Amino acid sequence: MIPELGYAATVVGFVLALYGAIAAVIGVRTGQANWLRTGERAAIGVWLLITACIALMLYAFLTFDFSVRYVAVNTNRGTPFYYRITALWGALEGSIVLWAWMLSVYTLIVVVRYRRRQPELYPWVLSVMLGILAFFLLVMSIPAPPFERLSPIPPDGRGLNPLLEDSGMITHPVALYLGFTGFSVPFAFAMAALLVGRTGDEWITITRRWTIVAWYFLSLGLLIGGWWSYHVLGWGGYWAWDPVENAAFMPWLTGTAFLHSVMIQERRRMLKLWNLTLIILTFGLTLFGTFLTRSGIIGSVHSFTQGSIGVFFLAFLALALLGAFSLLAWRTDGLRAQGELDSAVSRESVFLLNNLFLIAATFTVFFGTVFPLLSEAVRGVKVSVGAPFFNLVNIPIFLALLFLMGVGPLIAWRRASAENLKRNFLKPVLAGIVAAAVLRLFGVGNVLVLTAMALVVFVAGTIALDYGRAVRARRRSGDGWGAATWGLLLRQNRRYGGFIVHLGILVVALGVAGSQAWQIQTEVTLDKGQSVEVDGYRTRYRVRFDGLSASEESNHGKVTGTFTLTDGRGKEEVLSPGRKFYPQEQTPIAAVDYRLGIFEDVYLVLGDFARDGSQATIKLQVNRMVSWLWIGGLVLTLGAALAILPDHRKPA
Amino acid sequence: MTTQRKFVAGGLVIVAALGYLIWSGVTQSVVYFVTPSELLAAPVANKTYRLGGMVLPGSLKWEPKTLSLAFTLSDGKGQVSVRHRGAPPDLFAEGRGAVVEGSWAREGYFQASLILAKHSEEYKAPHDGADPGYKELLRTLRREPRTDEKPPR
Amino acid sequence: MKGGWLRWIIPAAVVPVLVLLAYGFWTNPREIPSPLLGRPAAPFVLTTFDKAPLTLQDLRGKVVLINFWASWCIPACYDEAPALERTWLAYKDKGVMVIGVNVQDTEEPARKFLARFQHSFPNAPDPRGYVAVEYGVYGVPETFFIDRRGRVRFKHVGALTDETARKRLDSLLEEPS
Repeated sequence: MIPELGYAATVVGFVLALYGAIAAVIGVRTGQANWLRTGERAAIGVWLLITACIALMLYAFLTFDFSVRYVAVNTNRGTPFYYRITALWGALEGSIVLWAWMLSVYTLIVVVRYRRRQPELYPWVLSVMLGILAFFLLVMSIPAPPFERLSPIPPDGRGLNPLLEDSGMITHPVALYLGFTGFSVPFAFAMAALLVGRTGDEWITITRRWTIVAWYFLSLGLLIGGWWSYHVLGWGGYWAWDPVENAAFMPWLTGTAFLHSVMIQERRRMLKLWNLTLIILTFGLTLFGTFLTRSGIIGSVHSFTQGSIGVFFLAFLALALLGAFSLLAWRTDGLRAQGELDSAVSRESVFLLNNLFLIAATFTVFFGTVFPLLSEAVRGVKVSVGAPFFNLVNIPIFLALLFLMGVGPLIAWRRASAENLKRNFLKPVLAGIVAAAVLRLFGVGNVLVLTAMALVVFVAGTIALDYGRAVRARRRSGDGWGAATWGLLLRQNRRYGGFIVHLGILVVALGVAGSQAWQIQTEVTLDKGQSVEVDGYRTRYRVRFDGLSASEESNHGKVTGTFTLTDGRGKEEVLSPGRKFYPQEQTPIAAVDYRLGIFEDVYLVLGDFARDGSQATIKLQVNRMVSWLWIGGLVLTLGAALAILPDHRKPA
Repeated sequence: MTTQRKFVAGGLVIVAALGYLIWSGVTQSVVYFVTPSELLAAPVANKTYRLGGMVLPGSLKWEPKTLSLAFTLSDGKGQVSVRHRGAPPDLFAEGRGAVVEGSWAREGYFQASLILAKHSEEYKAPHDGADPGYKELLRTLRREPRTDEKPPR
Repeated sequence: MKGGWLRWIIPAAVVPVLVLLAYGFWTNPREIPSPLLGRPAAPFVLTTFDKAPLTLQDLRGKVVLINFWASWCIPACYDEAPALERTWLAYKDKGVMVIGVNVQDTEEPARKFLARFQHSFPNAPDPRGYVAVEYGVYGVPETFFIDRRGRVRFKHVGALTDETARKRLDSLLEEPS
């Protein structure tokens, strides 16, 4: 019964979404408000139906309804309660449902917020949003039906992919999909503006805030994904340039580019065409990401099921990109820049460079990701490029971006004088050079790390300089310390929100530079009671193997090692990495244990072990500065929240 | 107009630099997918390969103490002996398919830096005929009651 | 951006990318070519669940389909099970033999599986996995097609469909024996 209800809800939802999308257009074409109202009601109906789908799926999961194929594949009777809920989006079909649901929520927000405020654009926005929803409901109806029956009913399900049995799995997909789907709203507004022919600047303000929201969730999703990779996968890294990761990273890059170039449009009425291109590209890349990970055309460790779903996504991607870009080409005449570039040394040009480098990074990531396909199509040779390619190509690009991050916010608009440059940048540049020199004295020899550190100090210096100046100005005009510091953040929330995001990125950059430059790894087989030593930063870690124990959990068996970690200060700590044996998986799953630290993590993975418990092979790593990534993510969150707050600036 | 030209020229320089970067990146880090017989036909030292084949029964040697792993990969036509430092991944066994990444050593063997485990959602790797290790360990530990004495330092 | 046609560059640039992606549907990045193709199929003797002997050599002259499965393999083995029975019924009078080999399984769930799908072709357990190892079975389900001269000709990874089975069997049946 449940599957039939769910399937009916999906199909009705699809029809309703399609109907709503058309009704909204009829409404605006004929000027009859009734049509538009039915479109709105359709949007509400779609939301209700998808919510019902989620409720039905949850019910099926909680009652172990193995007649539903998706439930049988992703749970078994031993799956803990918590993961029976997250299993909902643990695989392809469910993740599409989650995606559609978020999209329907965003559509409702659009209805509530803009039906009065943006009467001209709103019907088109509604239509585009419902159109996208219709596509996802179509996918749920035909190539990836979450309520598909499995007959005969198996006595027990197969069980969730053990790697997904982690608390990160509740937040990571949710944040990631909120980010992905969030980019539909800017896209819908861009399409509406093009269709109406009102490519003025009003829509761009709305779009900017929506993009920050989507960008923020996407950033969060990426960082949580990194954390998941770090503490679950057991290879000691957080980013592998895997196609799935790249797929999420590309819209982040173009979204970042848009958030910067939009400021030029707001200030100087330039780059309108470019901004629209970026929005379309970002939206297209979110679809591309799903296509890439779900179609199976590129191999990946996160491989999902292959099937006809890829064809659907490619067709929709083609429709969206060709349609949107053709619309853009058709409206080109209305998108002429009203301002002009005055000088190569100006904020405009720095932003242009920033965009150029971000697009370059997007291109390289895209190129590397589809390279196997390209090579096979052109030369018939099966090849791929791995992490070395991405690192080699992207490191210079990101260092350049870091530099621009320091210059951009402070350099003058239009034309920067020598005086302006000296006033804003002399001290930060000196600070950066001094920092590099000091680090060199402390024995840091890696040129890339030194460059990265110098740039980070330089950028932090510019931010400090600017903020300090602003605070002093407020103090002079009679504000107390509180009003001058906190009040300033709130009063100019957009500017300082951006600065805090920059600071977050700097902290992340430090983490990346540090962890890439220094990693100590050793693999060794220990007898019971035997120890291994590795040198950390100014301390020596010793890890002693104390023994193994085995236990049976609800849905797996587990072997846990007991190891005593001693550092140079004589502090002892027990680490218990293990291996989990799931009946449905042949490969045991590593359960990593670690000691996190500000500067160094000790990271221990249990590998092979003797069946009598007398011997264990371990992989021991000392990872530097990885924690800075998570701290940076926190800072970034604060900044983005500040930037999303309503703009307090008086309109000029 | 001159400002515009400057921009175009600057942009071109950056794009050219980027093109060079990508080109050198590809040539330095490209990984070739080959089978043992393809590799043996034209082995090039210092080139990164991803070699896929079957682990020849009887060829697997694993020394936990020295962490040395050696085995032979075959595709029916050619046989390549592979060496690796590190524990074998669990999916790995004689008579099964395996994919390794590494390079051809001049001494005539393949030095693997990575043994790839494969994951697929629907298509499941069969279990070993034997019990998974934890069951044996469970039995062993039950037979000898755990002692809480400190292991010798 | 001034010319009439120049503005269409962006939409036009999308086309080759889309074509490249579409090309991806024709390739399989995960494919490992089986070394067994074209070589003689490894002989085996098994005892079916009905206690009848099953010897591969006795089937020389017939086209043989060997399917490796397990009852815990959800959903792929469940998906292909009806197709296997349909294939058997359609081809058993045309000189084709269908054999199921149950690997890494226990007897009771395996028997339940067979009863549920009412498989009428011979099915045999391979408790120690000897046959699976001989055939280099990498996962379940896997299906091998053996020609009349006893050579492995095709290997199918993942759930088998009626179409694939028909295509493979027809091509092997067309060959002169």
